[in-house]
Amino acid sequence: MLFSSIPFLYYYLACVFILYFLVPGKIKNIVLLLSSLFFYAWGEVSYVALMVITILLGYLFGLLVERCSTAKAKKRILGIAVITFVGILGYYKYADFFVGNFNAATGLNVPLLKVALPIGISFYTFQVMSYVVDVYRGTAKVQYNPFTLATYVSMFPQLIAGPIVRYADVAEQLEHRVHSVDKAALGIRRFAMGLSKKILIANALGELCEIFKASGDKSVAFYWLYAIAFTLHIYYDFSGYSDMAIGLGKIFGLDFMENFNYPYISKSITEFWRRWHMSLGTWFRDYVYIPLGGNRVGKLRWLFNIFAVWFLTGFWHGASWNFIVWGLYFAVILMLEKLVLLPLLEKSGPFKHLYVMFLVILSFVIFNAADMTEAFAYIGGMFGAGGVPMISAEAVYYFKSSLVVLLIAGVGATPLCKNIVAKIRNKKSGALVLEILEPVVLICLILLCTAFLVDGSFNPFLYFRF
Amino acid sequence: MKKSNLILVSIMAVFFFGMSFFCWFKGVDEYSDSERRVLAKFPKLTEGTVLSGTFMKEFETYTLDQFPFRDEFRSIKAIAQLGLFRQKANNDLYMADGYVAKVEYPLNDYMLENAGKKFQYLYDTYMANTDVKLYFSVVPDKHYFLASDNGYLSMDYEKFFARMQEETDYMQYIDIADVLSIEDYYRTDTHWRQECLLGADGVANKIAEAMGNTLTWEYEQMTASQPFYGVYVGQSALPLEPDTLTYLTNDMLKACTIISYDTGKPVEKEIYELEELDGRDPYEMFLAGSDALLVIDNPNATTDKELVVFRDSFASSLLPLLIESYQKVTVIDIRYISSGMLGDFIKFDNQDVLFIYSTLVLNSSTSFK
Repeated sequence: MLFSSIPFLYYYLACVFILYFLVPGKIKNIVLLLSSLFFYAWGEVSYVALMVITILLGYLFGLLVERCSTAKAKKRILGIAVITFVGILGYYKYADFFVGNFNAATGLNVPLLKVALPIGISFYTFQVMSYVVDVYRGTAKVQYNPFTLATYVSMFPQLIAGPIVRYADVAEQLEHRVHSVDKAALGIRRFAMGLSKKILIANALGELCEIFKASGDKSVAFYWLYAIAFTLHIYYDFSGYSDMAIGLGKIFGLDFMENFNYPYISKSITEFWRRWHMSLGTWFRDYVYIPLGGNRVGKLRWLFNIFAVWFLTGFWHGASWNFIVWGLYFAVILMLEKLVLLPLLEKSGPFKHLYVMFLVILSFVIFNAADMTEAFAYIGGMFGAGGVPMISAEAVYYFKSSLVVLLIAGVGATPLCKNIVAKIRNKKSGALVLEILEPVVLICLILLCTAFLVDGSFNPFLYFRF
Repeated sequence: MKKSNLILVSIMAVFFFGMSFFCWFKGVDEYSDSERRVLAKFPKLTEGTVLSGTFMKEFETYTLDQFPFRDEFRSIKAIAQLGLFRQKANNDLYMADGYVAKVEYPLNDYMLENAGKKFQYLYDTYMANTDVKLYFSVVPDKHYFLASDNGYLSMDYEKFFARMQEETDYMQYIDIADVLSIEDYYRTDTHWRQECLLGADGVANKIAEAMGNTLTWEYEQMTASQPFYGVYVGQSALPLEPDTLTYLTNDMLKACTIISYDTGKPVEKEIYELEELDGRDPYEMFLAGSDALLVIDNPNATTDKELVVFRDSFASSLLPLLIESYQKVTVIDIRYISSGMLGDFIKFDNQDVLFIYSTLVLNSSTSFK
């Protein structure tokens, strides 16, 4: 079920809120669990069992790790757990990638398994895995109640597109959480903004990207328009979802970690990755990079660690070479920044922003390509390769048609509006005006989103495929 | 607890649960007048539909179709899309010079080729070794007149017309684009206005002359009292003023008999089905709407010739003005009758045969049977 859909907003969510806030505290997790399973089953009935099995395996591995008396035995169990979870992810997400590449390399014709990718498997597998690792490390207590663990893994607000919530971060809240009007107000604001980001901005930019892909009138200008539109689209799509997840979490009394912090104002790619998909970045840092030795090793090993983390980050996003290249592209840039570029960038004035956006835009062209052939073709097109004309009628038309959305998206990707609102809120009269206006604005936004939903059908979330 | 937060949560809760309860308990609407389609009903809930995911998909369609104040929400979206976000079109529809038009773009070569092949099949199968005289004309859609002046993407219409002439080089092409202007079309509908087709420089005269006929009948201009909300009113969801529907009639037209074979059995109809003015699509008053096969007998014809017309809905309002030159007119819409079956209903001999189609239909000709 999509957050940005009428069934979710006006049928499912209202039912869940009523049930959740009517039942006593001890049963709230059961309501959350059952409603999350229903939420998942709505999109993937057949894969509910897989998620339940993954949760049960996480529960058992957690218990086993805790009950092992020796460090060696704990490590062995952890190893089995990681292999099991990576195996599950590998089978459902990567099997055909490996078979296809094996066939290409050997000339054999091993039949593809054609396994459908279960929604959100990358997110919930990582969450279960981090739970077992945290129990092993002693940073989280083992959860004896399988329903509580299942509630953590399957929580519908963040189940299918993150943020990747660490068990240690919410363990206490799963048992004893505070529901308050202040928190609910924060959640409502966040959810409404996320919904608006997704429906009003991301979907419009997504349509523009689809139009470009189907166009027979491509030009250098149109390639760039597409690249910029997709760069904004993926930000609004993904951060919009994260905002909705965080907002819903707050309404249910849960605090999820932030996932985005205005990444497009970064002054380096290093900083960009501290602001983009933060829950994934910190997951790989804590569960891969640091265990490999991080930067407290020799230079070559350190560079290898960076390479390994970014190879995995790219591969996590999808079973396709363009995702691997996308990850390694960032690995190379990050290595260069850490070795040479960071001090130079600090002195480069506004150039550093252009540098970041140029590299990020190129990266998302690779990211969104169907394969590397398309990625090369699109990047080539951006620089006039293949005799593409500089400008075309469609480029001009769609630029004019999307100008306002692009401007709103561009400005909204910076903290400008947030800062203005903060300044107004700091003044007594301004705060009063905001208090009066806020519910009106939020209701107008939700009504506008509803209008777009009722009229339109173009509504996919990008990160569901990961 | 901040008082402002309490107010915010209270207002949002009332709004949210109010909307939700409205969705849950609102009665089911059968039909959308604005979109001219049957609305989705609550889907069948069975083990099979749930496991296959059909129930979920159909439930979403149901919730969208049955959403309270659906038309009003669609209007809000259209206004926001065109006004607030300044997009050039909403669902490919736009408003320019007071007219609603559809962005007809790009030119679909495959579709034109498909239309050409279908016409060629009809010619080869029924008309190749006969004395029929073949004529072909293309009706430009409103986008042809509005696109370039208003900054919209436009297909190369000249290439379109030339391409269709190439595909139909065994017919005499009648160019009517040069005698039409945007004022000849309804503001809120795809079609042209019948009263604008008459006159010395009108489409009817141009086609008649090309086919060797002279139009002499005079007509009384009748205006429907009902407002005419064209097909684009519902599709665009914009708050539009209605058009006025006018039709031309006289005693000779009234004396014509018109038989529809739409259901296989002959059914008598009228040149102008006035009860359609109160129906879902008032334009369907012309020649009984979109019937597959019509035969019109004209006892007051000025010649003893016969006319066969392969057409779309634009011809419905044009043909009454051409009838005077023919004793019998057979009107065929191959979107609703298989081309292979025509031999059962008509024998081609020495008739005039007119193919007249709009750019809208030719550019998406997969509907031809």
